[in-house]
Amino acid sequence: MSLTEQRSSPSRYFPSDDEYAGLLDKRSRRARVIQTVLLGALAVAVLALVTLLYTIINDSFGLVAQINANEPEDVVASFGYDPARVGLGDLTKDELVVALQGGIERNVGRRLEREQRFYADRLVFESQEKWDEVCARGDAPAGCDSAPRDHGNVLRLVEERIIKPDIVAATTLQASVTHPQAFKDSVRASFADNPERYEGYTYEQVRYKWRAWLSWQFVTSPSSSTPEIAGISTAILGSIWLVIITIAFAIPVGVGAAVYLEEFARPNRINDLIQTNINNLAGVPSIIYGILGLAVFVRVLEPVTSGSLFLDDPAPNGRTVLSAGLTLGLLTLPVVIISSQEALRAVPNSLRQAGMGLGATKWQTVRSHILPIAVPGILTGTILAVARAIGETAPLILVGAAGFITTSPSGPFSQFTALPIQIFQWTSLPQAEWQHLAAAASLTLLILLLTLNAGAVVLRNRYSRRSL
Amino acid sequence: MTDQPRHPAGVDTAWEGENHSDLAADFPTPDHIPHAATAHEPGVIETKDMDVFYGDFKAVADVTVSFARNEISALIGPSGCGKSTVLRSLNRMNDLIPSARVTGKVEYHGANIYDPGVDPVEIRRRIGMVFQKPNPFPKSIFDNVAWGAKINGFKGSKSDLGDLVEESLTQAALWDEVKDKLKDSGLSLSGGQQQRLCIARAIATQPDVVLMDEPASALDPIATLRIEELMLELKEQYSIIIVTHNMQQAARVSDKTAFFNVALDTKGQRTGYLVEFSPTQELFTSPREKATEDYITGRFG
Repeated sequence: MSLTEQRSSPSRYFPSDDEYAGLLDKRSRRARVIQTVLLGALAVAVLALVTLLYTIINDSFGLVAQINANEPEDVVASFGYDPARVGLGDLTKDELVVALQGGIERNVGRRLEREQRFYADRLVFESQEKWDEVCARGDAPAGCDSAPRDHGNVLRLVEERIIKPDIVAATTLQASVTHPQAFKDSVRASFADNPERYEGYTYEQVRYKWRAWLSWQFVTSPSSSTPEIAGISTAILGSIWLVIITIAFAIPVGVGAAVYLEEFARPNRINDLIQTNINNLAGVPSIIYGILGLAVFVRVLEPVTSGSLFLDDPAPNGRTVLSAGLTLGLLTLPVVIISSQEALRAVPNSLRQAGMGLGATKWQTVRSHILPIAVPGILTGTILAVARAIGETAPLILVGAAGFITTSPSGPFSQFTALPIQIFQWTSLPQAEWQHLAAAASLTLLILLLTLNAGAVVLRNRYSRRSL
Repeated sequence: MTDQPRHPAGVDTAWEGENHSDLAADFPTPDHIPHAATAHEPGVIETKDMDVFYGDFKAVADVTVSFARNEISALIGPSGCGKSTVLRSLNRMNDLIPSARVTGKVEYHGANIYDPGVDPVEIRRRIGMVFQKPNPFPKSIFDNVAWGAKINGFKGSKSDLGDLVEESLTQAALWDEVKDKLKDSGLSLSGGQQQRLCIARAIATQPDVVLMDEPASALDPIATLRIEELMLELKEQYSIIIVTHNMQQAARVSDKTAFFNVALDTKGQRTGYLVEFSPTQELFTSPREKATEDYITGRFG
């Protein structure tokens, strides 16, 4: 017996039982269709993400065809070790210096020693008299008073100057796994067809090696014009400095403005205008912020951003990490304000009334009850905004991030580069190796973002617990 | 008095006077309103010709009433008659609504609280408030009670603060239930306990008057009874003004009752006004006004 039959007087406005069954089927089908469409939307999003990750990871690892000027095994063997058991990195600093001495021109060695000496107590390439003379000059080179090179530094020099690895071809992770022979054949064919591309090399010199373009060495080395030894430590440090300055600027200013607008401002025409403008600013293209940063921070505020107002040895101009950080801070500010406002608006009004009803001032209520509850929401929005800022390239190009720089930023008044800039520079170079380096740098950027987000989640959860 | 029929819950049919073409004609003239407090004993809060506006909309018109010290005064009336608005005007809580505006006078110990130069923060400390829905802070029970004292410049030591918290919770008849879990969140309590916590919080700042906006409407009958008992105890020390939808509650606890009603003007705007303010016994047994009688006998509202 159906439900409607039990009714004493079924309404004439409702469908009959049979009609209703059909209607129900139709509605259920419709619901299923919609559900499938929604699932499809999710699938597209997931697919896009997976493709992105696949592309990056695919380029970050793989087989390379490499030609060394000197084989590391030969260097190891020259000291009487068994190359099968001892690697180049296992040699002592003294041995590496000896290898370097035997492999490079004396004047090149002198230049290296003037950049940074090998030992604190003795000279390797330079004579003592000449060294004293050079160091007595007004423009004494950096090596005169810097700490001596350590083991890793000398190892790098040996790889760079003695081994001189030259990657003549590289392939992707997928190709390396599925068709390694095809890659080798293509390199061999290339040698046979275009010998002029490999001048001075023969195919017999080629060694196939697995290479992780994203490696510890890649992450800890500064940039270089040689792709085999180029790294991104400079760019990572630059990006970290940018994040710190961006957060230090955007959070206090953004949250402050949001608290004022949400808790103190009375709705009037001026405040409505400000609110509308903030909402619009969130959509302004980042390049516009770059122009603003260039005009204001780099040019007008140069005494501040170059540090010449406070420092004895300021940066030569305003194109410093401080200018860039403030520009990114301005860029994130609207989003920080809007998301903080949302978080504050979500705090129930009853708490404001409770606080005010006890004879608290507005600020006491906001400080003790409203802000603590809003903090998790504020953090979420802020982190999303900062994450976006880390990936920004256009404004950094305008405010003058260096394309090629090998010294890490040491403070807010340093010249700098950043990960997206480095990626941009490398992808615009023609040789294939740079593309792999760019992929590895992208992966690093993603990992950095992930770390930042994870940190934010931890912080947010801690605050959520505390407020209840 | 408890044999008064209770008005059906949820029915919102404000009574409209037979002839509402002229708003002024529906308002009782001032001498219809009996002044409860006699001339030789002024009330703790007295309103004089108080109008409350939200923007251009006049929510309550022409309220003149005097609430006496150490008494419970109840404000009753149909939905939308502005009794909550009146209550919130008495400690300037309406200031939190940007469009709200009060004209006329609200005198607290003879001084108009709407005079320029009067700090509403000071007023709210002296005239505390308990809200319809229990709204403890998402903090510990101890902090809930102690916070109001701290921000109002409590000068005692830490142990004095502990004493104050204990005293306030005891007065609010909550101490025995929470004394072992003062560090627990105020939100971990039941609804009735939360409301008593809010009362403890309000009296911890040692106010003079406590305003209660339907304090028991979100609670079950047992919790309601506890709150009512509590009010009767508290009136020894405080003056209490309570808004309630529940006429039996007004009859049970209050000393004086004000009946508000709503009038429609020609544009269909609903404006609340005070019909009569009398000793509770009198209002429920021999109301002066026909509207009051209709309301308390359940003929509308």
